[in-house]
This record gives sequence, C-alpha cells and structure tokens, in this order.
Amino acid sequence: MIWEILRMAVDSLTVNKLRSFLSMLGIIIGVGAVIAIVSVGSGARMQVTNEISQLGSNLITISPGIRRGRGGRISITAADVFTMELAEQLQQNCPSVERIMPNVQTSGLLIAGGNNYQTQVIGVTPIYQQIYNFYPARGQFITDEHEVNATNVMVLGSGLAKELFPDTDPLGQTVKLFVRNRHLLFVVVGVMEEKGTGAWGNIENQAFIPASVLMKKINNRKYVSGYTAQAVSAAAAKAAVGEIEYFLTRYLGDPEKFRVFSQEQLLETISQVTGTLSLMLGGIAGISLLVGGIGIMNIMLVSVTERTREIGIRKALGAKRRHILAQFIIEALAMSGFGGLLGIGLGWLGAAGVAKLGGWPLVVTHSSVLVAFSFSLLVGLFFGIYPARKASRLDPVIALSYE
Amino acid sequence: MLIQVVNLQKTYRMGPVQVHALKGVSFQIEAGEFVAIIGPSGSGKSTLMHILGCLDQPSAGRYLLEGQDVSTVFDDQLAEIRNKKIGFVFQQFNLLPKATILQNVCVPLIYGGIRGRRRQLKLAEQALQQVGLGDRLHHRPNEISGGQKQRVAIARALINNPSLILADEPTGNLDTKTGREIMNIFRQLNKEGHTIIMVTHDQEIAGQARRVIQIRDGLVQKDEVIA
Repeated sequence: MIWEILRMAVDSLTVNKLRSFLSMLGIIIGVGAVIAIVSVGSGARMQVTNEISQLGSNLITISPGIRRGRGGRISITAADVFTMELAEQLQQNCPSVERIMPNVQTSGLLIAGGNNYQTQVIGVTPIYQQIYNFYPARGQFITDEHEVNATNVMVLGSGLAKELFPDTDPLGQTVKLFVRNRHLLFVVVGVMEEKGTGAWGNIENQAFIPASVLMKKINNRKYVSGYTAQAVSAAAAKAAVGEIEYFLTRYLGDPEKFRVFSQEQLLETISQVTGTLSLMLGGIAGISLLVGGIGIMNIMLVSVTERTREIGIRKALGAKRRHILAQFIIEALAMSGFGGLLGIGLGWLGAAGVAKLGGWPLVVTHSSVLVAFSFSLLVGLFFGIYPARKASRLDPVIALSYE
Repeated sequence: MLIQVVNLQKTYRMGPVQVHALKGVSFQIEAGEFVAIIGPSGSGKSTLMHILGCLDQPSAGRYLLEGQDVSTVFDDQLAEIRNKKIGFVFQQFNLLPKATILQNVCVPLIYGGIRGRRRQLKLAEQALQQVGLGDRLHHRPNEISGGQKQRVAIARALINNPSLILADEPTGNLDTKTGREIMNIFRQLNKEGHTIIMVTHDQEIAGQARRVIQIRDGLVQKDEVIA
C-alpha cells in the first residue's frame, strides 16, 4: 500500500519534471544554505581554534584596562605601570605561571641592499620561542646575552628573509631599521622556520630584536604594552589567571587597570560570535525554507485541482479519506525530501568551494545534514497537509463530474 | 432482497432555488435482476444512480442495501460499501490515465485491503482474461480502444465480487457494434448470477434488460418486467 502510493507520487512528480523542480527550488536553496552556512561557520571556527591551540591553549594575555577618561575619551592609564620588573615579580608570585614575556613592538621600514620592507618589529626575550612554539630554522634566536647587553641583532621571519635577501644568504648581513626618523643597524643572526599564515597576521614577515633594544634605543620608555604568560599546563590556565589577577589587584590597587585574558576565554568569545552569526544566517535559511514550503503548497493545490477527477475515481472505487490524504502528503513529502537531498548536495558543493577559497577544512557534520533534511521533510509535511486535506474531503459526485 | 428504496427524496440547493431531483421514489430489487433505469436528462435518474452507488445520500427516505440502511452512514463507511458491494461502470470509462490497465484493475483491491502485491496482480490478471484482455495487461488506457477501455472498467468492477454492478450509460461513448458487445458481456454476467442496474436514456439498450424502471420528474413513472 505504502509502496503503491510512493510509486504513484514519484510517477506524478516525474510527469511534470520542470514544474516539480521549480517547486522544489525553494527547498533546495534553503537546505543548501543551511548546509553551506553551518559548514562554512564550523570550518572557519575550526581553523581559528586550531591556530589558537597551536599557539598553546595555556597562553594568557595581560593587557591594560580600558577606562573612560574625561569628556568620554578613552585613556589607557595602566600602560604606565607595566614594566620589565613587574614581569619578574609576576613570575615569582604566581606558581601556576611557567613563563612570562613582555609585549613590545613597533612598526618600521627595513632596508637591506636594494630591498626594503615595511613590517612589524617585535621585541622579544629568548622564552618567546617556547611560549609561541616558534623556533629559528637557521642561525640562532635572540639570546639572554643579546638581551642583557642590548645588542643590535635581528632574527628574520622566513618570508621577510626572502623579501630582503632574495639572492643572498641573510645570515651575517646588515639590515637598516627606520623608525620615526631614526635609524639603527642590525646584524642578522637567524631566520625563523616557516609556519604558514595565520589569524594573527603574517607572522612570517615579522622581524625579531631583543626587547631591551626596542625599549631603550627605539621607544625610550621603560613601559611595555602588556605581557604574555604561559601556564604550567592547559589545566592550570584558570588558576594562573586567578593568581595574576590577585597579584595585580594588590600591586596596582585597582582591578580596572588591567585585563587578563586566557586563550580559553578567547576561544569562548570566538565561538560565541560565530554562534550568533550562524544563528542569524540560519534564520535567513529558515525563511528560505518557509518560502520553499509555500511553493510546494501552491503546486500541491494546483495538483489537487488538476486531479479532481482522479480523486473522484479513487473515491468511487473505495478510497477512504486517509488513503487520499496519504497519497497527497506522500507526494508533498517526496517533493520536499528530494528537494532536501538536492539541497544537501548543493550546500556541500558550496561549502567545499568556500572552504577551498578560505583555505580551511571542509566540515559537513552529520547533524547539520540530518537537521536540514528532516526540516525539509517537516516543511513538506506541514505545507502538504492543507492541500491533501482538501483533496480527501472532495465530494465524489462533484469530483467525478469535474472536467 | 438486495435493494429496498423507500420514499427516496433528494433536494439540492442552487443558490436561492431548491431543486427537487427526487420526490419520493420507492422500489425493490432482488439479487440476480438486470434492471434498466431509464428517463430523459433532468429526470433525476443520475441522482438516483449516485444514491444507489453510495456516492451520495438522500435528503429523506430510506435505502437498504442487503438489509443495511446506508442512508445513515457517512463518508469512510460509504467508501467501504462502495469498495466491497458495488462495481461501477461509467460512460467516460474513468480509468486512471497514467496507470497500466493491470494497475487500474488492482485499485479496488488496494483500497479493499487485499494484501500482497503478487496476489493483487494475479487476481487482476484473471479478471482481465475474463473480459478478453489478457494480452493487453501492460498497455495504458490511451493505447486501447473505447470498447477495450469499457472491458477494463468491467473487470475492475468485478474484481471485489460486488453484490451489485452499477452501469451509468455504459455504451454512451461507444459505436453501435461495440456497444452491443458490451451489452452481451452484461447479459452474460447476469446469467452467471450478477445483479446489474444500468442507467440509460436509450430505449433500445434498456430493452436488453429484464426489467425497466422509468423515472420522470423525480418520480417512478413506470416499472415493468420484460419477458
């Protein structure tokens, strides 16, 4: 019986192929959009998450608190208390902190021979390597000796090395750094390994110099813009955040003067943002499904009218209301279900295309496919009921005499 | 007694006007009879046929089919009575155009809850062989002649072994020769014991039945047995 009805439904859909396809279009686009949006969303999130966890999920960022100054202006007051010495104190007073490094950087123009490049120059101490899991491929990194003596040495990112020294070996070469009308000469002592571009800007094109050189010879300030700390383990990150907050509150006397952020919190924020975005786009996709459902209802109503005589014949031969009801509902379901399948294919292709462009993995979850497909069936059921009910309640005498 | 109709009335409402299609029709039909209901158009014979076929219900009066009062049952129950007890043969054939003739004959079996696709097909094939269409099983209605279509309809009407075959102008869309062939089938079926009620406006066709009930203006005008 069910097979009989199912086959009849498929038959009647294939009779009007173009019409069936056009009626399914709304569902196809709706389901495709759901699949593509969810996939692109989770692909992008996965990429960002991967990058963050590559940096280490036990990283903690300490930055100045943002406070409204007079007249509504924002003044960054705590910047004047973040010193190199405070880093050492934090290290000593926070047992869950494995390493801590000050953040100092500037942007400047690098010149070597006939080549120049505008880029970020990062002031580092040797522990930068462990914190960011980022090591030189050739030569050496900034050493404690360089840091203590404020030696003018520089380590180049792999991309930067190619920009400045396309034909020659950069090791031992001299690079001129222009910052704010000043220029300094550096000797290249190392080239970093290749890591690929990431969410944090192009790490490959940065230059690294001792933090002391940047602070004393370029910025002429003893304050740093913040710290990056590494907890002893990912599990200890929360404890480390607590210890840092406790120490800084006592030390600075005001919890508003600083902000402590772990990577975990950052991940949470990112997933919140992408979640909201997905929800919004999902809503749009939902509306598209709704419109698709109305399209199906429209065509089902047309179909009921066209087949009034057929319904009359079936009733004369003993079809009960539920038989006619089932026939038209199954037809609507077949249409929306098939539309859903096409939509899944379309969404998959779309997601694959975007993933290729964005350079992240293609993630099509079973749950999103299942949800989208069952939603399309639900739409078919919902919008199929009214036409089917109409068909099932036709008076057999009137239906039989319909021309 | 197969059919007992008592003071059957049917009133339609056409906007503000009330149309009295049947004004009190009474008769009885025994099992095994071959009855022609005859009358001009507008006489109420189509309305009578719809009620006898359980497609419609009377406004007043009683209709007993095999002792069961069917003027008080509704919709799905009527569908079941149509399926089990009545076989329809229409002037327009009323076959499903997209289905093969074999599938067409299967339809009453499906709604009758006869289980098993193979069994249904076998029964349908036997029925089609009886009307001489055993070699056309997989043709569609538009691939066969009018006479053949009416044979399919007869096979379909017989498939559930109904108590009553109800034919509405069965030869109306056929040429004389084919019409005669169809009438022969009906006569043969009647000889085998089937009860047949045939609605027509054609005196000659009605003459082949064994009893003629003449309807005019919603009333029985004449009810006579032909020798």
